[in-house]
Amino acid sequence: MLRIFLLALAMCLMTPAMVTAQSLQSLLQTHAEEVLKPGRRTVGVVLDDLVDSGLPQALPFLEAWRDRAIVQRTSDGLFFRAEETGDEVALFDLDSGEAVATVPEDDVTESRPNGGVRRAIGDALVQFQLSDPDIERRRAAVEAIARSMDASQLAPLQASIEGEPDTDLQQIKTRLAGMLGAQFSETTEDRIAAIEALSGDLSVDVRAVLNRILSTDTGVASAVPEDANIAAILIPGVDLTEAEAYDQLVAAELAPPLITAAYIRAELEANIEGAFVGGQPVAKLNTDANREIAYDALADAGIVPPRVTPTQQSEALDAHVFFVSYAEPDTAITDAARSALDAIETRVGFSQAADLGLDALSLASIYFLAAIGLAITFGVMGVINMAHGEFIMMGAYTGFVVQQFVPDYTLSILIALPLAFAITFGAGVAMERLVIRHLYHRPLETLLATFGISIALQQLAKNIFGTQARPLTSPEWLDGAWVLNDVIAISYIRIAIFVLALIFLALILFVLKRTRLGLEVRAVTQNPGMAASMGINPDRINMLTFGFGSGIAGIAGVAIGLYAKVTSEMGADYIVQSFMTVVVGGVGNVWGTLAGASLIGFLQKGIEWLNPSNTLAAQTYMILFIILFIQFRPKGIVALKGRAAAD
Amino acid sequence: MRRSFLIENPSVMWFLAGLGLFTVVVTLMSEVTGVGLISTSFVKTLGKTLCLCLIAIAMDVVWGYCGILSLGHFAFFGIGGYAIGMWLMYARTEIVVLESLSGQAIPPTSQEISDAIGNQIFGVVGSSEFPLIWAFADSLFLQLVMVILIPGLLALVFGWLAFRSRVTGVYLSILTQAMTLALSLYLFQNDSGLRGNNGLSGLQNIPGYEGVSQATISIIFFIASAIALGAGYVFFAWVVSGKMGSVIKGIRDNEARVRFLGYHVESYKLFIFTITAVVSGIAGALYYPQAGIINPGEIAPIASIYLAVWVAIGGRGRLYGAVIGAAFVSLVSSWFTGGGAPNVDLGFYTIQWTDWWLIVLGLSFVAVTLFFPKGIGGLFDYLVRKPS
Repeated sequence: MLRIFLLALAMCLMTPAMVTAQSLQSLLQTHAEEVLKPGRRTVGVVLDDLVDSGLPQALPFLEAWRDRAIVQRTSDGLFFRAEETGDEVALFDLDSGEAVATVPEDDVTESRPNGGVRRAIGDALVQFQLSDPDIERRRAAVEAIARSMDASQLAPLQASIEGEPDTDLQQIKTRLAGMLGAQFSETTEDRIAAIEALSGDLSVDVRAVLNRILSTDTGVASAVPEDANIAAILIPGVDLTEAEAYDQLVAAELAPPLITAAYIRAELEANIEGAFVGGQPVAKLNTDANREIAYDALADAGIVPPRVTPTQQSEALDAHVFFVSYAEPDTAITDAARSALDAIETRVGFSQAADLGLDALSLASIYFLAAIGLAITFGVMGVINMAHGEFIMMGAYTGFVVQQFVPDYTLSILIALPLAFAITFGAGVAMERLVIRHLYHRPLETLLATFGISIALQQLAKNIFGTQARPLTSPEWLDGAWVLNDVIAISYIRIAIFVLALIFLALILFVLKRTRLGLEVRAVTQNPGMAASMGINPDRINMLTFGFGSGIAGIAGVAIGLYAKVTSEMGADYIVQSFMTVVVGGVGNVWGTLAGASLIGFLQKGIEWLNPSNTLAAQTYMILFIILFIQFRPKGIVALKGRAAAD
Repeated sequence: MRRSFLIENPSVMWFLAGLGLFTVVVTLMSEVTGVGLISTSFVKTLGKTLCLCLIAIAMDVVWGYCGILSLGHFAFFGIGGYAIGMWLMYARTEIVVLESLSGQAIPPTSQEISDAIGNQIFGVVGSSEFPLIWAFADSLFLQLVMVILIPGLLALVFGWLAFRSRVTGVYLSILTQAMTLALSLYLFQNDSGLRGNNGLSGLQNIPGYEGVSQATISIIFFIASAIALGAGYVFFAWVVSGKMGSVIKGIRDNEARVRFLGYHVESYKLFIFTITAVVSGIAGALYYPQAGIINPGEIAPIASIYLAVWVAIGGRGRLYGAVIGAAFVSLVSSWFTGGGAPNVDLGFYTIQWTDWWLIVLGLSFVAVTLFFPKGIGGLFDYLVRKPS
């Protein structure tokens, strides 16, 4: 054993020229015992020597060793790589790689490294792979290092950076070396330099590295320890409750444990004598005060430990100091890591705000899409269409059905959009002709009639498509997300919905303000009698307007279906929200709907950000806000003024 | 005064007579008297229907007489149910807990009892603390006060805010719908203190009457519901008759004109809105012990819309119309959805009423609003006028 050790020591001290001269076989022979029966502790020496030797054939040897394909020939003690062929094994020379002989299985002894050893071999392999000519292997090696983050990997990683031909991989390696350096560099200066270099990086793993450096332990002692790197001194009653502080004292065995009510109860039960415990009748023990008297009597008799009085508790707290200390002993390093982390978190905060803004924008565009059709039928015509949500649902199911016949997703969406418009336009026109036309002078009854249609349509969809959610798959080019940095990312579908919302806004403004139809719609809305006497047919205009609003709901349905699930109840989820969007924004105005959708979208995201675990609460507070908002601006954000406002 | 009021409104007498007869007949035919022609579960259904009739009357007064289409009255109904449910659940759990603790060597402290009850009730939402709103749950009297007070206060504050800023018509409907949606979303949370979407359950067991059979309890609740409906009917008939009734109907027909005549329209509306909310709360407090369970789904906006539909189908602006609408639609609904109606075999397709009933119901709303704006109650006009 000692001989081997000395040899290994000698090997380490040899010059590189000497090392390259030797063969892998001779190196292995110096460690024959460890190679054959490797243990978790002994294998390190062999691996170090192999790495230091710089032999190119060490890499295939390590791989073979890890895969348990290394054997020793019993006759001469030489090592070979083995390939089993039936009962015999083919032996290959380790230096040249050539086949040497084929021998029966009994003539060789296998080296069987266990799991721990194989992991150590794997680590050593990583160091070889870092300089492998194959870029995929190098990349795999870098990923392996990023997963394990071990001190031993720092030096080989740094060494491999300079020779790295691929600039992308070189950057990744540099970054990884920085993260490793921040944790494991030899000198304080190196570590601080590495930490400061990290402070521009927002990624989660950099933050994890810094947090690991800043990991803390809580401690308690009679005086602040001199050698500890103290992060903060905690004052009981201010930074932590007195109960928590006392629990810490108990855990550190610096104070006797408190006698809890449950403990008192158990001890009293155990010490009942006849109908009495500690001189107290059992029947009277239904208050804590009486139980304490009985327990104290037991304690005086020495049967149970005495209670810790509040005075004793506070004395114990006063006699000790509670602190939080860093696991890292060097103050300079923790200070540097703290300031780097603070800088990163400030930037992360800004990025999160921007991300939240984008989220809110996309939510607002969804609300806008859902509500814009309603803004026309309710806002412009004053018709309450409770079945509007079901038009959205019809649009989404149209998309689903089209996808059953057209397998190409891009094409099917392109077909579904106009088809959904056509179908819901038809449904809207039919509904206007058959029902709503008769109820223009009774708006509250329109609400009931359209609600009837709504539940009938919902049930019909349930009967046809079943109750389970149906998928509406988006085309591949809409998969994925646009990543700005490690915090800000927005999926392409949401961008598409935003763009669609913008297109709709432009389209509706164009139709209402720049076309003959829009002019006639506005005329009929403002004064049907006057419009009729100018030669406009109000019936036809009402029909077209209602159809137009419904058709837009159908298109919105396709868009919403891409992002949410298609169910028969999806319309009901949007109807109240849509009405509120229109009412908050201001009736009779497309810009109002835009303002309402933005307000509701941003507000909802804002409330969710304050209380992220609870979207139900966010919705509740949102609705309460809307109720209050309408108190102060009953006509909505964009209120019509003058004659147009008369209703 | 009272006698002349009843004489002036013969329909009230007719209604009370009919309701009394119905109550007596159902009681005699129930399992309590041994006849057993009407099963206990059907007695419960009838009792629940009477409660729904009571809230339908309230809805009719606020909508049919005062012109406020409230889509939130089921929120008050639910609050009433929750208020009484809290006591029922607390008292019942207390009995169970005391029983299980009495076997121990040392008598429990009040803190231990309360902890054990809390564990029983809130274990399902991962908590064992009593929230603040359960502070009075141990007192039946205080919870009964809550049944009246909380719907009343909520309606008062909400109505005051809404009527003060002259939110009317469709806007008010949407606002009330938002209110009930907010309330049900709030109750769906686990930390709302009312067991989240589990709701309160086991309400059919009346604490202190464990020995009494469900048949007797159901009949008692049935009779109580009938009495409440009768009292509510007389009360609202009195409210909408006379001078005050004229003002209220005036507000429905032309609010601005009534205001210019010097009446303080907001006060009248607020009074009607609040008093109907209180009656809705009482109806809920009678309904849920018969239903046995209450959860936030019960006060989703759709329930309040159904309420409006019952009143519309029964006939607005007449109290007996609301009763007929609520009773007819809810009983027919439970007949169809409960599988009572035979399936229709068309050869190529079998119509299963559990699937198709809602479509029929929805289309019948449309038909009623389009062709029979006076609802079923309108048929009585033919009965009364034809002979003359």
